[in-house]
Amino acid sequence: MTLFERIFGTKKEASSASRAKDRLTIMLAHERADCAVPYLDDLQRDLLEVIKKYTQVRDINIKTENNQNIDMLEIEIQLDK
Amino acid sequence: MGEVITVTSGKGGVGKSTLSANLAVGLAHAGKKVVAVDFDIGLRNLDMILGLENRIVYDVIDVMEGRCNLSQALIHDKRAKNLYFLPASQTNDKNILDREKVAKLLSDLKKEFDIIILDSPAGIESGFEHSIFMADRALIVSTPDVSAVRDADRVIGIIDAKSEKAKAGEEVQKHVVINRIKQDMVDKGQMLSVEDVLSILALPLIGIIPEDQNIITSTNEGEPIFYSEKSPASQAYKNIAGRVLGEDIPFMDITEKKGILKRIFG
Repeated sequence: MTLFERIFGTKKEASSASRAKDRLTIMLAHERADCAVPYLDDLQRDLLEVIKKYTQVRDINIKTENNQNIDMLEIEIQLDK
Repeated sequence: MGEVITVTSGKGGVGKSTLSANLAVGLAHAGKKVVAVDFDIGLRNLDMILGLENRIVYDVIDVMEGRCNLSQALIHDKRAKNLYFLPASQTNDKNILDREKVAKLLSDLKKEFDIIILDSPAGIESGFEHSIFMADRALIVSTPDVSAVRDADRVIGIIDAKSEKAKAGEEVQKHVVINRIKQDMVDKGQMLSVEDVLSILALPLIGIIPEDQNIITSTNEGEPIFYSEKSPASQAYKNIAGRVLGEDIPFMDITEKKGILKRIFG
């Protein structure tokens, strides 16, 4: 860093702390999801079976969403046209 | 009835026992009748931090197995008049704790003490589970590094699943303690800040403890840092004790005052 950059802080470079935060955030999003719904794969398979009885399904996506108070499953069902 | 406070972290070496010891001393000085219980079976350490290692006769397993009375095993701290200590056993059998016996011990302690501090072992195995299942509240300690924060997050995720209180539909109060913050590194973007850690763990803060070399010397001496009133960490522990008792204490400003020259050249 040059003296100019030190004084005015013009150099924009991701600090190691912000990299740590990003890596943690991504990692924990995965881990929390895994830990909250261990039955995700089974659920997805069963849902597919049930919906197939009524209509044509292309795919089912299940996303987990959680914060301190609420655990949520977001289920997206894509129908075949 | 006393309140059970479990100090836990997931990762080892982040300062659980140091927090347990100093919180216990702080609460005792605030007039509460406190017992600190070391639940780290086989890896006893709270005794040395409190400086009570030479006074141990019986331990927590002796009490649970009926080899002695509770009063025989409790060690009365001479300096903090309201403080008692119950040491861990040094047995190699880490599965020796029995759920029903733990429940019995804790309900006995709740009758005699205002506050029961449980120093949980690292990890998420049975020792941790035994230390959390009767907890009224939990203090989760983390340092600002990726491993400690990740492990703290895991632990926070399983506290409610292991807690009797949560099963009964009540809430285990959970607070984060951030230990060993080096503000100069945070300022340079080299260390996760308090805000970073809190935004990841999504729990309220109850204490920030700055990195303080006095901790090492005070542990060497077996005298809790709480008594070294001039050290920054001592004040931090005192504040945590106050907040546990419901006092509204502002968080310490640990930012270093920097001159313009230091800002340019430092």
